Amino acid sequence: MNIKLVGRINLLTLLIAIVSLFIASSLFSAEGGPCKDYGPCDEFQPELNNLESLQRGASIYLNYCYGCHSLQYSRWGRVANDLEIPEDIFIENLVLDTGVKMGDLMVGSMDKELSKEWFGVAPPDLTLVARKRTPEWVYTYLRAFYEDSSKTYGVNNLVYPGAAMPNVLAELQGRQRLTCKDIPIFAANGGEKRDESGNTLTEEKCGYLKVDANSGSLSVDEFDSFIFDLTNFLTYVGEPSRADRERIGTYTIFFFIIFTVLSSLLYREFQKDYH
Amino acid sequence: MIAKMFNWVNDRLPIVNTFERHLSKHPVPKKVNFWYLFGALATIVLIIQILSGIWLMMPYSNTEEGAFASIEYIMRDVDYGWVIRYMHTTGASLFFAIVYLHMFRGLLYGSYQKPKELVWLFGCTIYLVMMAEGFLGYVLPYGQMSYWGAQVIISLFGAIPYIGESLEVWIRGDYYISGITISRFFALHVVALPLILIALVFLHLVSLHEVGAGNPEGVDIEKFRDEDGVPIDSVPFFPYKVLSALPAMGIFGLVFCVIMFFFPEGGGYFIELANFEEANPLVTPEHIAPVWYYSPFYTMLRAVPDPLGGLIVMAAGVAIFFVVPWLDRSNVASIRYKGVYSKLAITLFVASFITLGYLGTVPVTEIGRIMSVICTFLYFAFFLLMPIYTSFEKTSKVPDRL
Repeated sequence: MNIKLVGRINLLTLLIAIVSLFIASSLFSAEGGPCKDYGPCDEFQPELNNLESLQRGASIYLNYCYGCHSLQYSRWGRVANDLEIPEDIFIENLVLDTGVKMGDLMVGSMDKELSKEWFGVAPPDLTLVARKRTPEWVYTYLRAFYEDSSKTYGVNNLVYPGAAMPNVLAELQGRQRLTCKDIPIFAANGGEKRDESGNTLTEEKCGYLKVDANSGSLSVDEFDSFIFDLTNFLTYVGEPSRADRERIGTYTIFFFIIFTVLSSLLYREFQKDYH
Repeated sequence: MIAKMFNWVNDRLPIVNTFERHLSKHPVPKKVNFWYLFGALATIVLIIQILSGIWLMMPYSNTEEGAFASIEYIMRDVDYGWVIRYMHTTGASLFFAIVYLHMFRGLLYGSYQKPKELVWLFGCTIYLVMMAEGFLGYVLPYGQMSYWGAQVIISLFGAIPYIGESLEVWIRGDYYISGITISRFFALHVVALPLILIALVFLHLVSLHEVGAGNPEGVDIEKFRDEDGVPIDSVPFFPYKVLSALPAMGIFGLVFCVIMFFFPEGGGYFIELANFEEANPLVTPEHIAPVWYYSPFYTMLRAVPDPLGGLIVMAAGVAIFFVVPWLDRSNVASIRYKGVYSKLAITLFVASFITLGYLGTVPVTEIGRIMSVICTFLYFAFFLLMPIYTSFEKTSKVPDRL
């Protein structure tokens, strides 16, 4: 009887602890998310074994981003090797600087002092941006620029309001603006509110991103997949061993499952000595 | 030949004696539950931390310019450096998780009661040294949270009257956190505190073997002995208890590997995301939060508006564990035979400890502040009211045999 009671008490302790944690977290979750004015960040599932996507991402990064943003903890040779890009093709098409060796760090070419003068802040190194901000953030941020004439470069960003960066991808994406649209009003019970004749009641809400039709060289879907590849590459470069890590991890888990089963059987056999 | 050599050594070093005394003939209670496995697991993690730490030390650079970059060098250019580093970060968090469960077992089954007071005191000291060790290690990668976390913790000493400010400078070795701070924290983290930790673990185990391990019933197994003087309700530590720890190690290894290989950042709780950016003394992070294992005490610190008061409350929160053996006046050891007040008290204690821990990881809000004050009171009430509720409540009778 006593053992049962203790079991119940322990369970109760745990239950109260979990409930209190949930109450606490619901009280504090009201804060803004990492994607700020954009709302929740868009979903992003990296594909670190998709070499084609990573190769496209590397090419996009080196063409559009590397001029300003270094990858100072990463080495040229490691990227070429991991993404299975032959060295000669890599040097000819992607390493746009003839002086570099494959073992060099990707330290960038822009002078930090000069760039600080030009942009107000030096463009940050992006080796670890996907780890620090999460890939979801990067994927959302790069698609959340909109025209804002009050800013120096004529653009602002919903995910990072006041970002100092010009929208270098505008020519691909087209002109993205903030618009308003009518959305249905929901009643407290979750249903749409309707007027007497059955029409859905709507209200105007603003802060939506919309691209002017045919203003960029890529369609919305093409641009999304373009940014997907870029984000995928940044996820890779943030932790180049991640694909390896998950592959090796699977074996260790098999090992420990087998170890646990065998040692339990052994334990049970020895337990017979004193039970 | 081999037997001869062995005898030669054994005549000069007590190998057989020690093996028998502490392993093959050391009696332990035959019936315990899973709560009694965390001590063994803590030893395993300590070994993991020491070994992975030694290998991390080799490529790590303890300079202001090189520290952060050397971590990325380990993650990228050192063969399997990422395994070693994640082993160390995962190990740090799991070390605390296991030690918290181990301490909770102690509270649950009265593992501090006479004659085990000294075992408990050594254990509390280990926990204290671990907290220092964890803090020092956290500064070494020199990320944003390393820097600002260190800033917050070191400035706590500044709240001490008269000597505070000079104490701060003395700890940092400089007027602000710099390369000098990193290299002295490095020396303390890899040499000084691990030595103390190993010595304390040794004392913890030797004193435990002197007085004997407890059991969840709180039964004194020494009472009934067979004709050889061995307690009837005991089994030899080796091989029986060693074998019972093996499946636990398997499950622990599984949990360890799932975290290490699939969720090394632990959702930002094991490796804080702000630490993926190099320390920058000019930019304060939006929200400075300690790693999860310090957060209950960090919340206590924040619950008190006055810095010195906060420091005292926080220090008392850790220090109060040391006097538990003298606060518990109960005539039984195990929660199974204690009265309803003890059961209620420990439940509230756990709930308040977890809530304090959660509150320490999120930014302060008005409700959060009120809750942190309430939970701090509940936390201390568990200890300070213990002499009262344990002496007045009705306990049930403990059986003679296990």
